[in-house]
Amino acid sequence: MLPGMSVPLTLLGLLEREPSHGYDLKRDYDTYFGRGRPLPFGQVYATLGRLARDGKVVIGEVEPGVGPERKRYVITELGATEVETWLAEPVEAEPHLQTVLFAKVVLALMLGRPAEKYLDAQRSAHLHRMRELTETKRSGSLVDALLADHGLFHLEADLRWIDTTIARLDALAAAVRS
Amino acid sequence: MIRLGLRLALASGREGAVRLIIIGVAVALGVGLLLATLAGVNAVNAQNARYAWLNTGAASTTASTSAGVGAPAADPMWWLLREDYFHGQAIGRVDVAATGSHAPVPPGVPRLPGPGEFYASPALGALLRSTPAAELGDRFPGHEIGTIGRSALPAPNSLLIIIGHTPDELSRLPGAGRVTSIMSADPSTCNGCYVGTDAAGIKLILSVVAAGLLFPVLMFIGTAARLAATRREQRFAAMRLVGATPRQISVVSAVESTVAAAAGTAVGFGLFFLFRPALAAIPFTGAPFFSSDLSLGVVGILLVAFGIPAGAVAAARLALRRVQISPLGVSRRVTPRAPRAWRLIPLAVGIGELAYFADRRPETTDGQIRAYLSGILLTMVGLVIAGPWLTMLGSRVMARRASRPATLIAGRRLSDNPQAGFRAVSGLMLALFVTSVATGVITTIVANRGAPRSGSVFSTTLSNFFWPEERAQGQPAPSVDSIPAGLKSIPGVHSVTVVYANPLDQPGATGNRPWPGVIPCTELARTPAFGSCAGGAEVAAVYPDLIGPRRLPKSPMVWPAAAIAPEGLRQLPVLSVVVDTDGSASAIERARTVLEAAFPQGRRFPSTIGEFEGDFQRTLVQFQQLANVVILASLPIAGCGLAVSVAGGLSDRKRPFSMLRLTGVQLGVLRRVVALESAVPLLVVAAVATGTGFLAAQLFLTSQMGYSLQPPSGAYYLIVVAGLAVSLGIIASTLPLLKRITGPETARNE
Amino acid sequence: MTADPHSRRCAIEARDVVLSFGKTPALRGASMSVVSGEIVAIMGPSGSGKSTLLHCLAGILVPASGEIYFDGRRVDTVGETERSTLRRDHFGFVFQFGQLVPELTAEENVALPLLLGGARREAALKQTRPWFERLGLDGLERRRSGELSGGEAQRVALARGLVGRPEVLFADEPTGSLDSLTGEQVMDLLVGVAREQGTTVIIVTHEGRVAAYADREVMVRDGKVTSFVADPVLS
Repeated sequence: MLPGMSVPLTLLGLLEREPSHGYDLKRDYDTYFGRGRPLPFGQVYATLGRLARDGKVVIGEVEPGVGPERKRYVITELGATEVETWLAEPVEAEPHLQTVLFAKVVLALMLGRPAEKYLDAQRSAHLHRMRELTETKRSGSLVDALLADHGLFHLEADLRWIDTTIARLDALAAAVRS
Repeated sequence: MIRLGLRLALASGREGAVRLIIIGVAVALGVGLLLATLAGVNAVNAQNARYAWLNTGAASTTASTSAGVGAPAADPMWWLLREDYFHGQAIGRVDVAATGSHAPVPPGVPRLPGPGEFYASPALGALLRSTPAAELGDRFPGHEIGTIGRSALPAPNSLLIIIGHTPDELSRLPGAGRVTSIMSADPSTCNGCYVGTDAAGIKLILSVVAAGLLFPVLMFIGTAARLAATRREQRFAAMRLVGATPRQISVVSAVESTVAAAAGTAVGFGLFFLFRPALAAIPFTGAPFFSSDLSLGVVGILLVAFGIPAGAVAAARLALRRVQISPLGVSRRVTPRAPRAWRLIPLAVGIGELAYFADRRPETTDGQIRAYLSGILLTMVGLVIAGPWLTMLGSRVMARRASRPATLIAGRRLSDNPQAGFRAVSGLMLALFVTSVATGVITTIVANRGAPRSGSVFSTTLSNFFWPEERAQGQPAPSVDSIPAGLKSIPGVHSVTVVYANPLDQPGATGNRPWPGVIPCTELARTPAFGSCAGGAEVAAVYPDLIGPRRLPKSPMVWPAAAIAPEGLRQLPVLSVVVDTDGSASAIERARTVLEAAFPQGRRFPSTIGEFEGDFQRTLVQFQQLANVVILASLPIAGCGLAVSVAGGLSDRKRPFSMLRLTGVQLGVLRRVVALESAVPLLVVAAVATGTGFLAAQLFLTSQMGYSLQPPSGAYYLIVVAGLAVSLGIIASTLPLLKRITGPETARNE
Repeated sequence: MTADPHSRRCAIEARDVVLSFGKTPALRGASMSVVSGEIVAIMGPSGSGKSTLLHCLAGILVPASGEIYFDGRRVDTVGETERSTLRRDHFGFVFQFGQLVPELTAEENVALPLLLGGARREAALKQTRPWFERLGLDGLERRRSGELSGGEAQRVALARGLVGRPEVLFADEPTGSLDSLTGEQVMDLLVGVAREQGTTVIIVTHEGRVAAYADREVMVRDGKVTSFVADPVLS
């Protein structure tokens, strides 16, 4: 879980789009927000349960079958208002993944490991992900495209940071070793 | 491919259309000039051919004339050519006498006139009808039986008369000779043919004039072709990227140039035919041409009609060499290589050639033509080649010594691309060069040979000389009594003075030769305009026209004394009759007619000094006029070239100057940069051109005539300063545009 | 995702290409290869030589040493005329600026490669018209390039690049002067048509989002090609 990423609010937002089953919710979340780290089912249903308790969602009609996956969740007025407020509020301008990668680079330099190779590998991975998102954009709906764009722009920003860091590696290495 | 080329040529929008129009205009000018020159050469030849027959007398006196004289006729003819004057214009008077019915007949007339008959040229015929006989008609015995045809007339306004006599009559006149055929050789090819024009000399002048005018036109064309060069390069680069071969690009650009050049050539032909009558009227051989003389041979027409467009195509190919190489076009603009010092070589060779011939004048006219023409042309070409190097030199000096930013920027920009800076002013440089050469040569000749002497005594005094050597065998000198009494009573005649032949050797003013005539001082006292006696003398030694050769006007002549008694003068043979008139045409012509009627056997007819020297002076005046035409024509052409170049250069400067303005450089500084970039090459080449021009003039004069250069008159300086001022004005007029062009919109990323 | 790369032809290849501009070296032994139908992005910092590598592959520049192969034939040793013909018949180009001829209309620009190849005007224009519709340029056929917006001009350039059904499409910063949305439209169309026709595409870009349209990317640094993911053919 990363700072700024609020799982409840995100699930709420997805529900505002359309009422869904828990399973669908998890799938959507993973696709757009999971970043390769899928949300555990338990967390999903636990979150949904809390949201229901707070009155932000209600459980719609129940499909035949057993288990919580069969429940359809629907957003309430309160939930919608919550989403609205959260949307209007700007997100904390903090580096995200950068903190993790930064740590990796600094450690690599300290330990004399090939930092450039790691960064190149990261870039490759980023581009791979970006390719996937691009494919989604081209084959999905307009809303899907918007969401994909969001990811793409961020990933591109990461790429920029990676390029700059690579260019700075020598200076960084000197600073680290001193 | 050609269709594509046409499409591109015609669809270039306003900028492209303006460019093509300017090229077309420049080509039209060039073609017109070229055609005029070719036609001029043909005209000189044609006119000279019509002079040929007047040299028939040369065949009888010189044995060496061979080629060109027609088949000898069975019966010889007596022939005498003399020059008469009317109102300052020369009349060619041919007295002929046939000895039989198979005598040679001159061109333009069906037969030889018999005694009491004459043929007159159309102009002379008209004069005879419109002028009182006492002024003209009474000179010629007989009546007019016909008009001389065109084939015998050198010019439409030639005054010619062929008078018939009996052989006995004519054979007694001094100077008459027997000929068996009419001369048909070109006067410039035969010795002794003094009637006609120095064709070789004229052609030399024509060629230099043509070169002097053509070079600025060529520069103009080159400048115009470079307009919108950047956009055209981009366009061709785009085509190359997509896969156009270099050859296809050549074809496309060739089509473009051909269209403009072909249109320009057609217009040029039109201009030539339009101005042909006006051209024919310019008497730069001394006599005007018939319109049809200015003909173009088939070869000439074909050469120009196909050669010019071909040349334009070739030039366009050359200009596109850079894009031939790279489809990446202008994305990489490499600094052109700096001009090297070897560029001075052709100029040095040209001057050197003229200097070489300064001491060693070639013997034949042809040799002279080759030497001077090649020297001057080489110098011109040398100036054009050396121009960029000189510009670079000047600009480097300017940049090194710059203390202000504008000077520094201008100096660096110029030294970075001196070819561009020079191109704009190259036409002007050539114009100034030709102007300086022409002015220097003519001013010096006039100063040395003397300006046409006019006014007062020189144009009002009619002198009739009776040189002893011009008298026929056994013919006595005229005596005082043979001078017609009616001469004094002609209205307008002030005095009639008789000058006697000087029997003694008296020292005179001209070195050791004594003045050939004597006159009582009392006579001289009556006519103070002719000078005065040395104090106390009774008889003075004088020149037969009472003026003396080469005397400048307004310097009163003091004639030296002659040791002869005044009473014995009347027995002496008469050397000359001097008639002082009031200068009116009727008085002079009536006096002349009376004298001619009284002394019809004179070798030379009475004339004023103005008329006698008029022939040479006329030529000189004509050359002056020609020089003026060249100057007045070449300067505007050069100015056009400059204007086009500066306007075009302005759009080249759009981007870099907008950038400079954005970074905070003031508009005033940029204006100074533009001004300096154009004005510095202008002044540098102006100085070099005038200096070289005078140098070339000096070398030519030293070689051909032994004179040294005289400083030119004020008019020359005026013209040069005016030309420079106008050029600077053109440059200055573009400065206000700079503000608009370098506005912030231009710097947007396009 | 794709068929075994070794079974597909190598469409275009560079081996140890060295090229300098005056004294400045641009490429110091760059090698890469592209299989037929692939979309490859060439990325790298500015000044790294990526555009120069593209120009060499496309036969625009001739390397000082090294070899360029297209479809098994040497490209760097043939003359200027042959390379021009190669570009005309087998390659397409979408560069960042200024590749349209301002004096021609949009459809004439698109038809230009065909006209240069000797096609008659009517036949060439007939072949270009479907592209206008395909790329959303309806109604713009008679416009001059100055009257087109940036995105429209790039799409016209794209049409021109594809009209001759080239084997390889070369793009150098195709969206560099466009805003994101317009650039996206251009890239969508480019990749869409390329995939449909099996065109090999080589894109030079410094933007990740543009490179994301490609199947893989190669990095150019200091005149050499480095890529972390093994080049499917070379390795």
